[in-house]
Amino acid sequence: MKVIRAGYFALLVIAFAGGSANAAQPGTPAATVIAIPPMTTPDAGNKGNEMLALAWQATKLIQMDLGQTSELMPLEPNRKDYYSYPEVTAPSFPKWRDRGAKALVTGFVQSRSDGRLTIGCYVYDVDKGRELGRIGFVAVPGDLRRAAHKCSGLAYKSITGSPGMFDTRIAYVAETGALGARVKRIAVMDSDGHDHSYVTQGGTSVLTPRLSPKAHRLAYVSLEGGVPQVRIIDLDSGRQQSLLQGQAMSFAPRYSPDGTKIVFSMMLGANSDIYVVGESGGMPRRLTTSPGIDTDPCFSPDGNRIVFESDRSGTQQLYVMDADGSNERRISFSTAAYSAPEWSPDGKLIAFTWRFGDTRRIGIMNPDGTGEKILTDGPADEEPSWAASSRELVFQRTDSAGRPSIYRLSLEGGPATKMTIPQDGSDPNWSGTMD
Amino acid sequence: MRKLLLLALLIAVPATAQLPGLRRRDAPPPAPVQNSIEVLRADFSAQSGGTIVYFAPGSAQLSAQARTLLSAQATWLRQHPEVAVRMEGHGDPTDTRDHALALGAERAVQARDYLILLGLPSAQVSAMTWGKERPGPPSAVTTIQLSGGPALVPAAG
Repeated sequence: MKVIRAGYFALLVIAFAGGSANAAQPGTPAATVIAIPPMTTPDAGNKGNEMLALAWQATKLIQMDLGQTSELMPLEPNRKDYYSYPEVTAPSFPKWRDRGAKALVTGFVQSRSDGRLTIGCYVYDVDKGRELGRIGFVAVPGDLRRAAHKCSGLAYKSITGSPGMFDTRIAYVAETGALGARVKRIAVMDSDGHDHSYVTQGGTSVLTPRLSPKAHRLAYVSLEGGVPQVRIIDLDSGRQQSLLQGQAMSFAPRYSPDGTKIVFSMMLGANSDIYVVGESGGMPRRLTTSPGIDTDPCFSPDGNRIVFESDRSGTQQLYVMDADGSNERRISFSTAAYSAPEWSPDGKLIAFTWRFGDTRRIGIMNPDGTGEKILTDGPADEEPSWAASSRELVFQRTDSAGRPSIYRLSLEGGPATKMTIPQDGSDPNWSGTMD
Repeated sequence: MRKLLLLALLIAVPATAQLPGLRRRDAPPPAPVQNSIEVLRADFSAQSGGTIVYFAPGSAQLSAQARTLLSAQATWLRQHPEVAVRMEGHGDPTDTRDHALALGAERAVQARDYLILLGLPSAQVSAMTWGKERPGPPSAVTTIQLSGGPALVPAAG
């Protein structure tokens, strides 16, 4: 099964501009108004019309992407604002200044003799009248969407300084069948819901898919035979294998930020500890030795530290240690239980499941344990996972009937929104930006 | 031959049964197999006083009642060395996924190890976990279910 069409999706020769300075100051509360007039084409005649139709699709996609963020406010693209190909790199700034835009995206779609497309886009600071960045691709027409997402990512990063989450994937557990006897399959989709596919069969119960940083591979837990074991799927080839040899129970896998290692839990006797091993297997290295349940480890984005949960104090609390297992310290201190931590891609926050009695909610805190904030009301929210932007989370919310769905939540506020997926879903996991 | 025999057992076990699945390890003649396994299950449950070992929420410590029940099970199992059992650990439904998985495993292993401590050969008792994938009884307590050997699906789920 071919899940990712990475092979066809080559970066073109259009060089990145030298300086991609920030147009607005990150963290400013007001959204930056960005103009996205309809992209153009250098082609003429019928080909030109065909390309203009694709360019319009790309323009609308960029508008939709940026409109989902709380930092940018796109102006509605208007066909009257059509510009010529030379104006892609020489736009009229006063026109957009007059309409209140602080930033501008221009671009083009061009046909190639081999049937593929050349797609280019440019981001400008309207006030200063200068280019912030450019990006270009050669892609098959089916990858126009991904190219548009990359343009959105460029605009978002040029203005906010943070990587966008437009060309990313979400993995989750698709659940069908009666509650209590659910058929569970791992599903993977683009973060906008497109390109949805199932990567495991329904015969074996599966849990906790975790994408590699660029979403080419996926680690998950199979409950085949009642023994939880970490397995790895190559999403490009569909090939699968067990992470470890032997019959030990292993679970809670997560990739290191460079994608070369997996940190996970393993049971030895009645004791669960945290181990790390190369992605292709080998001898796991033990990192914790406490007699309680140590699980749900997650690397910091620089790979130097690991956050995990342990019930060694009597309730589940969060701990941080160095990546070699040294220097353990507890960071959460309250009568609630804290679990399933995930470190944000920018390194500044840790998201977790907060549990008190039967209530589960999603929270965040600084890596030193300060600044705790509970973001949702529950009563059954769990498994938060960060967007590449570090400004949004996905999580699992179970309704009163016991059916789980996947929700998306912005740190800037506002209610969580339910994602559209073909069936119930649990254990969502959001990848970094694809290449 | 063995596969066929196990299949017949599967069909005979009602999906909702709370009885342990049992497997004859060196079953001599395959005469009245279905009866035999059901009789064994019923006898095991009746003689030991139950098939469900309860734990306090969040705990994998064996209570006094749990030890009493496991001791009775051990007595029965010593008299039936041809029968293998599997301890199936369940986490708490309101727990988070991975902690529930670990807690279910810890409970199953504690129960298994107690039986082994009481003298049962380790080949006769295995342990596995369902985490919160197949919650046991709706009460906040947790179940260890006994079932047949690895080739047999759990009796209840």
